[in-house]
Order: sequence, then C-alpha cells, then structure tokens
Amino acid sequence: MNRVQNIKLVLWLITGFAAAVGLLRFIFGLGVTTNLNDMTPWGFWISFDVMAGVALAAGGFVMTAIFYIMKREEFHPLVKPAVLTAFLGYLAVIFGLLFDLGLPWNIWHMIIYWNPHSPLFEVGWCVMLYTAVLLLEFSPVPLEKFSRYAKIRNFLMKFRFPFVLLGIMLSTLHQSSLGSLFLIMPFKLHPLWYSRIIPIQFFISAIALGIMMVALESSVTHWMYRRKPEVNLVAKLGKAAVWVLTLYFVVKMTDIIVSGKLGMIFNGTRESYLFIAELLISVIIPILIFVTPQLRFRPGWQMFGSFMVVFGMVFNRINVGGLTMLSVTGDSYVPSWTEISISVGVVSTAALVFLYVVEKFNIWEKPPENPEESPYAEASFDYSSRVWLGAPRIASLTKYSLAFILSFALGIAIMPQGRLLGKGVEDVTVRKARGNDTLYIDGNHDGYGVTFKHKMHIDSLGGNASCVRCHHMSMPLDKNSGCWECHRKMYSASDAFNHDWHASPNGADIRCRKCHTENKNREISTAKTCTQCHNEMASDSAALVDSKYMAMSYTDAMHMLCVSCHHDKAAENPEKVALAECSTCHETAPPEHLHDLLKWYDKQPSFNRVILPKLKEKEGAI
Amino acid sequence: MSKAILTDITKCIGCLKCVSACKEVNGLQFDIPRKWQKEDGLSARNWTSIIQKPDKHFIRKQCRHCLEPACVTACPVGALHKTELGAVIYDSDKCLGCRYCMMVCPYGIPRYDWDEPVPYIRKCILCYDRIKDGRQPACTEICPEKATIFGERDELIMLARQRISENPGKYIDKIWGEHEIGGTSVLYLSDIDLGFLAYQENMGTMPLPQTTSPAMKAVLPAFVGMGGVMLGLNWIIRRRMELGKKQDEQEDTPNE
Repeated sequence: MNRVQNIKLVLWLITGFAAAVGLLRFIFGLGVTTNLNDMTPWGFWISFDVMAGVALAAGGFVMTAIFYIMKREEFHPLVKPAVLTAFLGYLAVIFGLLFDLGLPWNIWHMIIYWNPHSPLFEVGWCVMLYTAVLLLEFSPVPLEKFSRYAKIRNFLMKFRFPFVLLGIMLSTLHQSSLGSLFLIMPFKLHPLWYSRIIPIQFFISAIALGIMMVALESSVTHWMYRRKPEVNLVAKLGKAAVWVLTLYFVVKMTDIIVSGKLGMIFNGTRESYLFIAELLISVIIPILIFVTPQLRFRPGWQMFGSFMVVFGMVFNRINVGGLTMLSVTGDSYVPSWTEISISVGVVSTAALVFLYVVEKFNIWEKPPENPEESPYAEASFDYSSRVWLGAPRIASLTKYSLAFILSFALGIAIMPQGRLLGKGVEDVTVRKARGNDTLYIDGNHDGYGVTFKHKMHIDSLGGNASCVRCHHMSMPLDKNSGCWECHRKMYSASDAFNHDWHASPNGADIRCRKCHTENKNREISTAKTCTQCHNEMASDSAALVDSKYMAMSYTDAMHMLCVSCHHDKAAENPEKVALAECSTCHETAPPEHLHDLLKWYDKQPSFNRVILPKLKEKEGAI
Repeated sequence: MSKAILTDITKCIGCLKCVSACKEVNGLQFDIPRKWQKEDGLSARNWTSIIQKPDKHFIRKQCRHCLEPACVTACPVGALHKTELGAVIYDSDKCLGCRYCMMVCPYGIPRYDWDEPVPYIRKCILCYDRIKDGRQPACTEICPEKATIFGERDELIMLARQRISENPGKYIDKIWGEHEIGGTSVLYLSDIDLGFLAYQENMGTMPLPQTTSPAMKAVLPAFVGMGGVMLGLNWIIRRRMELGKKQDEQEDTPNE
C-alpha cells in the first residue's frame, strides 16, 4: 500500500510548489510570472487547463450516455468514477482559469453582461450549467453517507435521467464550441488545423478522449490500489474508441482533402511535422493497439494505448490553442516553468481530491483498503530520523503537510526575485524612448528611469558645435538619436550597427546577400562596411570604428563622458562637491564593494572596458 | 454618420507628434521597454506608433476600428462596443481579462497591462470623448503635414479616390481598409504595400464575425437535436429490450 502514499506525497509536493507560484502570480501580475505577451495572449494555460481540461472531462457525458441512454448495464462500475472525474475536471478548469484571467474576480460577469454572438460566451454558460448539472448528478454519492439527507438524495435520484440528458446536451454544445472559438481566426491558425467544421472535429475527438480517459483512469487507479484491473471493460472501451477515432480520422482527412490542403502535410514545415506527430499519437497508434486482440486485453498495453489518445488529443488542443499560430505571429513563446507548474499543480490538486473521494465514499463497488484508516495499525518508525511517527494515519498526514510546506517554501525561494521586482525590464537592452524628445533610460534595470534633458546637454557639451556628438550617424530618424543608438548594451561593448533592424522585414528589409557579398561565411569579415552604403553620410566624428562595428558599453560611455565633466565642475566650485558623487545621477548609489573599483576606473582612459561582469549580460552581438 | 481617419503614407514625415499627442490626451505614461512588447511599437502605454520602412516611409499603426469588428463579436461580456460614430470603445468595468479580443484581432492591435496586478485591455479608442463633442482625435488634430486626417468615412473615401486619380503613378491604386474584412474606419493611402499591418496580406472582404455566425446559429438546433436523438435512441433501445424480454418469455413457455 506504500504505492498510494508515495503518489500522494508527490502530489502534495507539486501542489505546495504550485500554491507558492500561484500566490506570486497574483501579487506581481501576469507579465513577469509568465511568458505570455502581446503576440501570444493565450498560452499554455488556455490550451492545457481549459481546452484540454474540458475535453479530458468528456468521460462524464460519454459514460452516462452509454449507461443511461444506451442501457449498457455492464459499464456500471465505470459510471461513478467517470462522473466524479468530469465533476472534478470542470472544477479544475474553472480553478485553473482563475490564474489565467486578468480580472478573475469578474468571472461571474458573463451571468449579467450578455453577448450572445460570442462563442466564448456560449462556452462559458455551458460550462457553468454543466458543472451545476454534474454537481446534481454526483451529489447522491456523498449524500448516501448521511441518513438525514435521504430525502434530498431520493429527490435527486428521481431526476437522474433528465440530468443525464441535459448534461449530454450541454456537453455537445460546449465541446464543439471550444472549436468554434477558433473559427474567427482564419488568418492566425495554421490551415492544417483551421477548418469550417472544427467544432465537429472537436466534438468527435472529445468523445474519443472521454472514453479513453475513463479507461486510463480505471487502469491507473487499479494499479495504484493493487486491485484487479477491469480488463474486459477497458477492452470494450478500447473497441468503442477505435470506432470513434476512425470516424475522427475520416472526417479530418476528408476535410483536408476536400479543401486541397493535403500537400501541406508533407511540405516539411514545422507545422507539417506537428500534424503528422499528432495524428500518429492520437489516432493511428491507439487504433493499431486496440484493434489487435493480443494487445487489447493486456493491462499494460491498455494503459499505454489510452495514454496515447489522451496525450495526443491534449497535443491537438495545444496545437490549435496557439502552438501553430507562432509562425504567423512571429513570436517564440515557450511556456515558462511558472505556467507549467501551476497547470500541473491544478491537475494534482484535482487528483488528490479524487483519491480522497474514492477512499471516503462508495465510488467503486468494492471500496479500496486503506491502511491509514485502520485503527489497529501499528505505529511506524522512521529509521533515518529515529523517530516514532505515530499511527499510519497521523504519520502520513505529517508527511503530506511537511511536503506541502517544504515545496511551498521552495517555490517562493527559487522565484527569480530580480525578475519580479524588475517588473519585466530585466535583460532588455537600452533602447530609444518612444514618443518624446525626452529620453527615458532604465539605467539600473530596476524600473527607475533617468530623464535626459536636451538643452542642458547642448550647453555643457559646447553649444552648436557639439551637435555631432549625438547627431553623427545619419541613421534614419537621426534628428534626435541618443547615446543608446551606439551604446546599446549596459555593461558590454555592443554592436553599433543594428544588424537585426537592417535584416528585418519591419526594418530596412535588406537581403543577406546584399551585404555579405561573398557566399562563404556570413560574418563581419566578409561583409560590406557601413561607408560602402552610407558613403556621404558618416562624418569623421562618428563614434564608430568601421572595421569592428563596436561601441563602448552604455555605462562606460556615461561614466567617461559625463563623470569627467562632473569631476571638473566639482573641483572648480567647492559648493558643487555633490556633482562628483554617484548619487547625483543614480537613484541609488553603487554598492560599497564597487567603490574602490570605480575610483580606479575613473582614472583609466581606455576603450571597451567592461565592469560588473557578475551581471549575466551576454557579450555583444559580435 | 460613421467617422473615419485617412492616413496618407506619402505625406507622413515621421515626426511622431501623433504619438506624443495620443499619450498626452489619454494620460498614458512613459513606455519602458518590456519583454512582452511587440516590435511594432504599440503597447498598453502606446496606442499608436510609427513603423519605419526603407526610403523614408513612415506608417502609423493604430486600431483600425473595423466596421464589423472581430473583437466586438468575440468579447463574451460585451466590454468592447462599436459606436455609431465609428469608434470601437472598451468598458473596463465589464472586462474579465480573458484576452479573446487580442487573439481574434487580425491586425494584432489590442494590448494588455501585463505588468499590473489589475490589468486591462488597452487600444486606440479614436478619442471617443473628443469626437462625441464634435472635436477630432488628438493625433489628426496635431499632424503638421495633414498626413492623417479625420472626417466622414464616405467623404474620406471620395477624397482618397480623388487623390489617386489626380496624381497618377504616385499611389498604389487601392485604399487600404475600404473593403478588407468588411471595411475599416481607419483608411490608408500608400505608395508601398501595407499588407504587413495584418497577419495575412490578402484577407478578403468577408467580415470576420461571419465566420462564427453559422456555428452560433447551429447552437440551438444542435442542443435540441442532441436531446431528441438521445431520447429517441433511449426509446428504441428500451423498446428492443422489452421485446427481447417478451420473446424470451414466449420462447420459455413452451419449454416449461
């Protein structure tokens, strides 16, 4: 029975970790705790928690349809677990959605503010109603433990059939409407997945996924509690799934062939490989497994086959939900570990509740033996710490709470504090301020900015003759080019020639071959120099070494150009001693351990010297 | 009564005055570069931006205020709303932060307050408060070159046609936003292709809400139909079982 306890321990560890991450998400906002961005506003949470989550919970309506509508009495042992899985699944979807929504406390707004044209409105309403129906369907199970609620239970049992019917009708709607959500994105979703019948595809795949999820859950829980697996029932489910999967495959491929997209499957793009992998995992391999009679009745193969369908269909939802849009939006979204840990945490919380309910109430015809419950069990002894842990029930509770607390603390501890407090400004190179003549430079990467006053600089740098000091390069929009145009990086010498801007379609849009004329290696040595294109523009005073394309780091430039003048002024005028102090410019003075280094640094006139190597700034682009 | 903006790319000199006027009028803060921003310059604190293209081309990007906006159809709580004056405006009190509008916009316009614990959707609202009072948006008012102008949509289209016909060869013979995805209230005249403003260059003329409306119309029939099918199936199966039982009894009796 150790197996159950170990699994629960792991689930508690994950839950504790996710709880810490979830707390930080609400304190600091979505931007810094996730990798979601303006190009990819829906990420892993929507694909996995919501779209895959709803589909995974489809087992509830499929099994009740098989049992109550089609009267297949032999599936009775699987109905209660399926309804429980569905109920917890929908609760997990709603719970997980709270992390993704920007304003989760407004989640109920759909009840009072209506927009019937929106597919998401319909999905939201259906999910709300179906969760309520599932509650009514499931509540007789816990109620039978309490005799004083017998009347309510009898009442609910009487209306069981209408509840089931309503549940099936609602599920039909929102399982398909989750696909309708993407009908309005014909330009973003990849053509291999975009289809006018995507709602139908979603519905059929949800049925297959629901069946296989019930099978997988039966296999896994029976393995966990060392019970005799329901081999024959799962085999029957497998057979049913083969029919549904075949239908899904035929519908999907017919649609692709009719709309003339067949060639896209084999054109070697990333999406084509994703598509082939998805079909192999979710349809072809499981069909092969469950069609073969030798494999269909083996518990191991059953578990593998049903896992393949579950994994493949989740993969499908992730593909539709955003993965195949990345090539259009040009984003490189990868879910952050915080997103993944919250998703996994929601799943393990649901699993813990499932195990609790299975052990407490009559979900299975023969309840599992639970050593934690036995009053006669002996106290256990922990050999590593030489401590008596008390009765198994107390001991396991102690272990679980310890696991939760430890992993919660771990979650808080390993969250990168700099990233959170830097409000997402960390690792951003110095850039031109948008919109105004006044420059705003986030010097310390801490959200504090420096306002750059133009007139003051003209005065201190030498009047009209000093224009070229800043306006020297005749880049496009050169009128108010700033220090950062050359000194792009904070702490290392950087590429003064903005390579990516020249190559990007949004920028100069110059083909590689125009500059890298020799076809050998595309590197600096084989490229044209700036003056070969901007011949009449680059003036002598340009702070650019043509052969290297390198400029001083931002801090170097600031300290060498500004600080020297500050020192001179301070020396001239005793009243202005403060000018030479770091805090004149910096919101916060440099840390003490750098004072000596900085003093030495001020006396060393040299080019391209880098200080503060501790910061994980990458070396300049070249 | 639908108002619109016409931006003539050939006249824009890229002075960014529209950008700073927009910031001032809408009370937007300085934009600190963040990791979640897109390269086009738009952000929660920048509702319009200038995209540079080679050969002194400056293209102002802003919300297109589609005549039949996808975002308005998509919003589950109706927080986005197309007004009679043409502006697509946002009601932050209704919003629940699902970001479906950001997903559906073919131009990728709506932006999010990613750094706020209480975030809202941010985008150009065509200075709705100003145009309601009969004034024009801040960006068109300040433009020194009259490169971006405000007026009745029909009149602006006429004006654009006139400019194309009066200056043969100067413009590409197309008004961006006249028909694409059902037409937009922000129109462009240009001498270079502006397809890059959207996710796909040729989006056709079908308004995006029409892609979902067949599915939404099928909702009620599907709901009732599924109920009917299930009830019918249940009836047939029960009937069969009853008949089967009777047959069993009939077969059983002679044996006894």
